[in-house]
Amino acid sequence: MILKVDNLHKIYNNDTHALKGVSFKVEEGEFLVVIGLSGSGKSTLLRCINRLIEPTSGTVNFMGKDIAHIKGEELRKAKAKIGMVFQQFNLIKRRSVLTNVLTGKLGSLGTFESIFEKYSEEVYKEAYNNLETVGISEKANIRADSLSGGQQQRVAIARSLMQNPMLLLADEPVASLDPATSNSIMQYFEKINKERGTTVICNLHFLSLVRRYASRVIALKAGEIIYEGLPGEIDETWFKTIYGEEAEEVEIR
Amino acid sequence: MISPEIELSTRMYIEKNKKRQDKFKLVKAVFLDIFFVFYSILVVRRAIYLKFILDLRDLPFSWNEIGIILIISIITGYIWGTSRTSLSCRLFGIAKEDKFTKWTTEIFAWFLFDITFIAGWIVTKISLVGLFSSEGLQGAERIFNSLFQPQMGIFDDALFAMIETIYIALVATLISIPPTLVISFFTARNLMKENKITFAIYYILRIILNFVRSIEPLIWAIIFSVWVGIGPFAGMVALLVHTIASNAKLYSEAIEGIEQGPVEAISATGANKIQIVWYAVVPQIVLPFLSFTIYRWDINVRMATIIGLVGGGGIGTMLMQYQGLARWHEVGLIVLMIAFVVWVMDYISAKIREAIY
Repeated sequence: MILKVDNLHKIYNNDTHALKGVSFKVEEGEFLVVIGLSGSGKSTLLRCINRLIEPTSGTVNFMGKDIAHIKGEELRKAKAKIGMVFQQFNLIKRRSVLTNVLTGKLGSLGTFESIFEKYSEEVYKEAYNNLETVGISEKANIRADSLSGGQQQRVAIARSLMQNPMLLLADEPVASLDPATSNSIMQYFEKINKERGTTVICNLHFLSLVRRYASRVIALKAGEIIYEGLPGEIDETWFKTIYGEEAEEVEIR
Repeated sequence: MISPEIELSTRMYIEKNKKRQDKFKLVKAVFLDIFFVFYSILVVRRAIYLKFILDLRDLPFSWNEIGIILIISIITGYIWGTSRTSLSCRLFGIAKEDKFTKWTTEIFAWFLFDITFIAGWIVTKISLVGLFSSEGLQGAERIFNSLFQPQMGIFDDALFAMIETIYIALVATLISIPPTLVISFFTARNLMKENKITFAIYYILRIILNFVRSIEPLIWAIIFSVWVGIGPFAGMVALLVHTIASNAKLYSEAIEGIEQGPVEAISATGANKIQIVWYAVVPQIVLPFLSFTIYRWDINVRMATIIGLVGGGGIGTMLMQYQGLARWHEVGLIVLMIAFVVWVMDYISAKIREAIY
């Protein structure tokens, strides 16, 4: 078991109760997908796991250690083992693709060498390898903001791979991409999950993508887990419960 | 799944917060009402009654009078504010919703505006006679004639003084860059808010910067002309101090306005604070910083001219000397030269800033 979240609460600014006692477990090598409407707490959940935000109460047990309230050096060490991919890619726009990928290594580099960009040969090699994995090594030296959305997301994936993550989080990684690109990006996650055995937790909107890629699904509604099971078991009734009575399923191919 | 206590306590917390905010608003409203009443009595009595209607030259001043007015306004303001029918209550959105309140507050607001305008008219001694009398028009003719017939004999001297002014501005701007950079990171809210100590540093620095900035460069020049002696150096230091204070604010606002996404992404890799700033913040602010700095040089050329008037060196000092001697043809040449240089600088800096973006 790589991750065990127990009774997690998050209250924003003392008035928005975003997570209301979420508990679940993730086994090593799983491809867990989190579904739910916008505002259901999916993003908050992921950010509590890799501690971009601090949970109000509860525990996040990552590899046998509670990281819900750790600080400083200890927190950075934990963050370095968890990769994250974002909906808006979040690349450094004015820097090259290669520099962006190299920033994935920052957690294990000293301040001095990283600021003067003195990376070792191995780190460069690793960066090229990871760019190879997502198939854009030929774009290494061009500016990140001149790439298309799908390409930028691939750079972001390569950046997270630089961490050699034990756990890879993806916060709606295909929500700002077109359907065809969405599928290709999801295939990279699948490849990383299958070939490297990296555990993946991914927030998704489209059920067709969920059925195709997830090994297990949890559904959030108003900050609580209302469904936990296999993707194939989500039928019409469950769909209506998760997304509301008026919702209708949209296919994405 | 959620425990009922937690939900209940959040709701109570929100409710309590709202009540406290309401109370706080009422206190603010009462203070504002007291001020409004105090202000209107003072203005009506001193500016309108004593100065304008009785036409007294020296206004009598006594603390007793002020005290009595203050007491009257405290009583009136308190009763008016706590009854929730006052203007301030309406401004803060806590007033009663009846016709009477609506009418009285509206009439009072107009009253405040009118007495302020009338008092302003009296204080500035607006006189159309002075503007259009034959004596006044002759003066205007004299000065405009001289301005359009500049004395070319002092062209060399004026040109050197002008170059001195441009260099004063340039040096002040260049030296300001490193300290401004350092300070701006410490005065950016988003970088300093997490930790109590850093937030205290942020707060103190902001107060100091606001104070320094609120003192005009002209006044800094007076201070430094006493400190280091009259001349270009005093002018340069005055500009430098003001430039650091104003640009640090602009820089730190640029830092506060950056996209948070890259910061999140870099922080998620386990990077430390310095690495986050270097990789996620700096690339986003280089261009705005450059643009602000170039614009500031342009502003500083204008300011350096003004500072010269109080002994900050350069063309301003020269202008002052000829104005003191009432040699209007020389003044004309200097004014034309300043206008030309300022216009050129404005154009150049706009072009450079356009090219950067």
